[in-house]
Amino acid sequence: MFLSIFKAIEETGLSIWIRESTSVFSFWFILSVHAIGMGLLVGASVLIGLRILGFAPDMPIAPLKRFYRFIWVGFWIQVASGILLLIAYPTKSLTNPVFYVKLTLIGFAIASMQMLRNRVFADTSLSEATMMAKGRLFAICSLIFWVGAVTAGRLLAYTYTVLTA
Amino acid sequence: MNLPHIHLLLNHWPIIGAFVGLLLFLVAFFANSDDLKQASLAFFTLIALLAIPTYTSGDVANEVLKTSTALPKELINTHQGAALLSLIFIEITGAVALIGLWQFSRMSRPAPGPVARWNFALVLLLSIVTAGLMTVTGNTGGAIRHPEILSGHDAASTVGAIGSKIVPLTAYFVTEFSRWIWPALETLHFLGLILIVAAIGGLNLRLLGFVKDLPVAPLHRLLPWGIAGFVINIITGILFFIGMPFFYAWNPLFHLKMATVVVAGATLVSFNCSSAFRSLAKLGPGEDPPATAKVIAASSLFLWLVIIVLGRYLPLTQESLK
Repeated sequence: MFLSIFKAIEETGLSIWIRESTSVFSFWFILSVHAIGMGLLVGASVLIGLRILGFAPDMPIAPLKRFYRFIWVGFWIQVASGILLLIAYPTKSLTNPVFYVKLTLIGFAIASMQMLRNRVFADTSLSEATMMAKGRLFAICSLIFWVGAVTAGRLLAYTYTVLTA
Repeated sequence: MNLPHIHLLLNHWPIIGAFVGLLLFLVAFFANSDDLKQASLAFFTLIALLAIPTYTSGDVANEVLKTSTALPKELINTHQGAALLSLIFIEITGAVALIGLWQFSRMSRPAPGPVARWNFALVLLLSIVTAGLMTVTGNTGGAIRHPEILSGHDAASTVGAIGSKIVPLTAYFVTEFSRWIWPALETLHFLGLILIVAAIGGLNLRLLGFVKDLPVAPLHRLLPWGIAGFVINIITGILFFIGMPFFYAWNPLFHLKMATVVVAGATLVSFNCSSAFRSLAKLGPGEDPPATAKVIAASSLFLWLVIIVLGRYLPLTQESLK
């Protein structure tokens, strides 16, 4: 039943256009945007994480809160470009367990970053030492989850079993 | 001009550069001049960047020559082997030199401690080995097309012979040893991209006025993470090329990507990692850099974006070339 829905999506004009158009703005363009969005989303998380873990100790922690804007801009770029890629190849992705592992890891990573934000950046009266102590676990977790999510994403191209489009 | 021409255009630079760099480095040491030391370290890094397209243009030169003349195949293999060893050593030299150079760009540079001395000794040792390997590469490469050089066949030395075994072994490891090596290298290439965007992109975004309440100096201290990402991507990139040279060798987008890597790398070296950056590292919260610095920061960001996009488009042109 699911397969027939996936198949129907694959037959829509948008899906076919993304896959088969010779326009430079179709598949490979969306893939490029997905890579840049990854750089923003994970790159900003890495910067916050490194400081919380004690690197560049002379960097004030409070202004790092601004990097959450980059995280969210990157996140929505990823959602938009990810949905377009999914429309292009629904069967290939949604029949692959690795795809769900990837989504779960992204969820965990974002949740870790949000918990870090609530514990470290919400209360402006905290000392930097306290901020680092409170954020440490979440910084480590988010970094691990991001590495996992990127790995799972890359493996999608090598682990699919059903390709109908 | 065709693609093999590029190999000829580039291939003298890394060889002569390795010797000029070494000489400059020694003069800087004996003259005890910080400016000369920086110049020599920057020079090594630039030569290391140029060595990448020099190596990758070699396969094309070989292909074209093979069709037109009978060539001593063994000599070409030896040349390629020596070239790979030279490439490995000039890249390591460049990376170590870049970290040494970054020390100079810090606002409050610590007195020459164990790190600076360690860096000096390592660059010296690596550059001597590199210069030696470059000599073999030049000799074996010259012998391919210059039979008038009578010592040509002796130049097929043991160094080149070792190197020529490394090339097929590496290709085997990358493509056939396990089907998971290639995806693993790709994942590392992506993680390297993230480190570059985080550390180099983050610093340049701050100069452009984003997250302005951060002082510049501490962001600059994170730059070695970006350099690490760059090094990871150069290593994994070279492995991709050795694994499937003809996936890349004729692809115009690949050559454009390598050219952009050289320019973006040169921007990193001369702007973010030299004492030119020291005045920018003094910028406190809320302070703006001069307009020229903003232009360079924006160019750097643009170049890295171009590299990402070109990388993602590589398979497309591959399909259309077939």
